[in-house]
Amino acid sequence: MIQLTNVSKIYPNGAKALADVSLRIGKGEFVFLVGPSGAGKSTLIRLLYREEHPSRGLVSFNGQNLVRMKEREVPFLRRKIGVIFQDFKLLPRKTVRENVGFALEVLGLQRHEVAVRAEKALELVGLTKKLKAFPHQLSGGEQQRVCVARAIVNDPALLMADEPTGNLDPDTSWEIMDLLHNINKKGTTVVMATHAKDIVDQMKKRVVAIEQGRIARDDEKGGYGYEL
Amino acid sequence: MSFSSAKYVLRETLSSVKRNLWLSIASVMTVMVSLIILGFSAFFLANTSNVAQSFESQVEISAFVHTNVPETQVQALETKIKAMPGVSSVVLVTKAQGLAQFGQSLGKAGGNLVSDLAGTNPLPDKFTIKATDPRRVQTLADQLRQFTELKSVRYGQGVVDRLLQFTRWLRWMGAGVIIAFGAAAVVLISINIKMNVFSRRREIQIMKLVGASNWFIRWPFLVEGLFLGLAGGILAAILVGTGYNWLAGYVSSTLAFLPVVRSTWLFWQVQTSLLVLGMVIGAAGSALSLRKFLNV
Ligand SMILES: Nc1ncnc2c1ncn2[C@@H]1O[C@H](COP(=O)(O)OP(=O)(O)O)[C@@H](O)[C@H]1O
Ligand SMILES: [Mg+2]
Repeated sequence: MIQLTNVSKIYPNGAKALADVSLRIGKGEFVFLVGPSGAGKSTLIRLLYREEHPSRGLVSFNGQNLVRMKEREVPFLRRKIGVIFQDFKLLPRKTVRENVGFALEVLGLQRHEVAVRAEKALELVGLTKKLKAFPHQLSGGEQQRVCVARAIVNDPALLMADEPTGNLDPDTSWEIMDLLHNINKKGTTVVMATHAKDIVDQMKKRVVAIEQGRIARDDEKGGYGYEL
Repeated sequence: MSFSSAKYVLRETLSSVKRNLWLSIASVMTVMVSLIILGFSAFFLANTSNVAQSFESQVEISAFVHTNVPETQVQALETKIKAMPGVSSVVLVTKAQGLAQFGQSLGKAGGNLVSDLAGTNPLPDKFTIKATDPRRVQTLADQLRQFTELKSVRYGQGVVDRLLQFTRWLRWMGAGVIIAFGAAAVVLISINIKMNVFSRRREIQIMKLVGASNWFIRWPFLVEGLFLGLAGGILAAILVGTGYNWLAGYVSSTLAFLPVVRSTWLFWQVQTSLLVLGMVIGAAGSALSLRKFLNV
């Protein structure tokens, strides 16, 4: 489903984020991206939903070459990929329900269907009591969950999460992990960047460790593998 | 577009206008001013060409026949002139009729003069010719000069030419001013929308990351431009409409000899043109700013 071939990424300011990374992720997999901060995890995720272009190498998703992809095709790519952003990226002037519904609104769905599906997704993340709140009225954890709901609301083929438990207490973190696990069991491919050692160790999923922009380790059913 | 997205677009438009209220007002005002000038120019031109036409239609050619041309030849000449293309009417004023008219115009003294002339008549036969189209008067006069039987051909050349020149000049001037203001309005609207886009660039970026197409994001901005243009058009139409009606009433009550155009067809034509042009200006403004802004 995802294939990176000899991908390097150097940002315009000269920061080297990825160096000659090759990685293959199959449909239905659950993959942790681990590694110290600044290793290039977020950059790898950004390449996949085409927020960034690789400086060198090939990125493909479902057989589509993302490097050659035309600008006007990008929205259709993004509609197949749910992203839980590290900084949430919620729309400040929209309510919780509108934020989640927005991912459906761009598909041109009817208002009623948008509302029903948005509420269902918010139920999954346990936020039904804050449908009409605005993002600035929510705690960090609550904003995180809105972001999760928006990422899953349109049943994406690929769900990518960039440190989705970074702002959550352990209990809520595990709720989110259960959610991702269930979504994965229904066939959605999940890629998650994280620092949470205990989660990685306990989930027994594939672990790809990135260090200084290179893949240092790629274990089936691995553990976090770093001493904290 | 479905009902829900129409509502979405409307909501976005209104909140955008509120955010940049003063710039929005300035944009609407410039559209309005350019369209007011356009509206009044249109009415003014309609009136000048109406006045010109009523002057022009009074313009006739006088062609004088050599005194030595026999009567039969004069009558033959009359049929020839009548057959010329562009001639609408030919009236022959014979020497005798001319003398009688001349005598009448002099009143009592005229009777004495006519009898003093004692049967001699110094006046020539005269044709009074009207053209179907005032603009053909000059060509027609030139053609008439080809006839050797005619001694001289005269018409009110100066008046027609000057009037036509004036309306032509007015048309260019009006067009220049309107284009200048129209361009200013387009630029102001595009600045307005660019500022809105800029202040919302983070939101736009998020929308794109969640899968919104460029058109989904552009719509509200396009509608905003159309809305500002239309608002200017409506204001201009109201002001031009009431202004012209008042002015037309005033002119026809004080300067009754001036023919004022009061055609409802023209009135509504101008009004709808103002509304449509307002929207065109607005759309042009948004198009200008939205051509290349979504590279996030
Ligand atoms: N937008 C950017 N512009 C310039 N440099 C960046 C940008 N994003 C990330 N970097 C740099 O690229 C490297 C990798 O960053 P990132 O992918 O965010 O790592 P991680 O998510 O693993 O912490 C870092 O050195 C970071 O400073
Ligand atoms: Mg990161």
